[in-house]
Amino acid sequence: MAFVELKSVRKSYGSNTVLQDVDLNIEKGEIVAIIGRSGSGKSTLLRCINGLEPVQGGEVWVDGVAVHDPRANLRELRARVGIVFQSFNLFPHLTVERNITLGPTIVKGIGAAQAAVLAREALRKVGLEEKIKAYADELSGGQQQRVAIARSLAMAPSIMLFDEITSALDPELVGEVLLVLEAMAREGMTMLLVTHEMNFARRVAHRVVFMNQGKVWEQGPAKEFFAAPKTEELKGFLSAVLH
Amino acid sequence: MIRELALLDVYYLVLAVRWTIALTLLALAGGSLIGLLVAAGGASHHLLPRLLALGYVGLVQGIPLLAWLFIFYFGLSIVGYDLPPLIAATVGFSVYAGAFLGEIWRGALIAIPRTQWEAGTAIGLTYIEQLRHVIIPQAVRIAIPPTVGFLVQLIKNTSLAAVIGFVELTREGQMTTAATFQPFAVYLLVAALYFSLCYPLTRYSRVLEGRRRGVR
Repeated sequence: MAFVELKSVRKSYGSNTVLQDVDLNIEKGEIVAIIGRSGSGKSTLLRCINGLEPVQGGEVWVDGVAVHDPRANLRELRARVGIVFQSFNLFPHLTVERNITLGPTIVKGIGAAQAAVLAREALRKVGLEEKIKAYADELSGGQQQRVAIARSLAMAPSIMLFDEITSALDPELVGEVLLVLEAMAREGMTMLLVTHEMNFARRVAHRVVFMNQGKVWEQGPAKEFFAAPKTEELKGFLSAVLH
Repeated sequence: MIRELALLDVYYLVLAVRWTIALTLLALAGGSLIGLLVAAGGASHHLLPRLLALGYVGLVQGIPLLAWLFIFYFGLSIVGYDLPPLIAATVGFSVYAGAFLGEIWRGALIAIPRTQWEAGTAIGLTYIEQLRHVIIPQAVRIAIPPTVGFLVQLIKNTSLAAVIGFVELTREGQMTTAATFQPFAVYLLVAALYFSLCYPLTRYSRVLEGRRRGVR
């Protein structure tokens, strides 16, 4: 069984079907990029994997946990599946340090002193150790997003989900965030990222998935995927975004 | 028997401020209890608590405070519950404060973006843990200035308790006026005493508003 397995996943809001019959496997250590037009279901797919969105049909398995099962222990699952959002979502009333230690101390029951060590380590990985006592509104967008990544990393997840994490950033701040992702990729982190950064996807991802109309429309190894798209829809999409 | 306005009268008026403050604090305590329920119900995802909270607020805000005081003092005594003025006033003001505080606090709760809940969920916090560590600390910061503002309203409105015979500042003023027939001097003093309670709170509320901009 793959580390993440989606089988015929169906998700709808009322009569609006967002995902239909989605099958997707992700192996441990794999880096998968998901691309597609807005509204194609990419973000929803990501959110179904850590149970932020319940599915209406099919199965979602993550590291042996049946996420689609309403009785699943999502708290325990979320400690192992990190997610970073487009809008950072740092807790504005807490310091950077407390943002990071909240999860480890409360969810995992780690002591304050040890959690502080974890926070420092996580911040070192994103290159922001000196901001440990800062508040979110004292940081740039890129720094906030790096703290959000550190917040996830401190939980020692076995997979990280990234939901268009550079889309809300000013262009000059995108690079610093992508550098952090590349460093994580080198360390062998299993990563699933919804992104509009095609060059980054081509360079870092092992596999790229194109979502269209709520379905996995086409997928393949990054090099071939961009060099020789098979479906008309992917060709159209790529020519629109790469011009 | 009319007598001169004496220093002793001034002394009694100042002492009566204690009862204005006491009634305010009792109403604040009772109103906070009700307000917490109203805020929790009003911000709930379930329909029934939301309707109950909405109905309560609508009912209380749609009836004058004075009418509530009459209901709890005169109304209940007719059906056999003879409440002393302090109790009747406390209940009446709590009912009233509960609706307003509930609305203020509900507004503060729903002002926290949904993404803050989501970020809490994403690191594995339970609903209660999200409330305690993420939502309520931020909502409190939003709610404090308007809550202090309402407190000023509450202090001034406790003067209505005079009509059910509760001897607070205004009632003491009426009695002093009756004895001395110096309404202008007496009520000017009463007004000054209310002002000395309310104005610092109003200023403080402004300071808090200014401080809130960074939401920290």
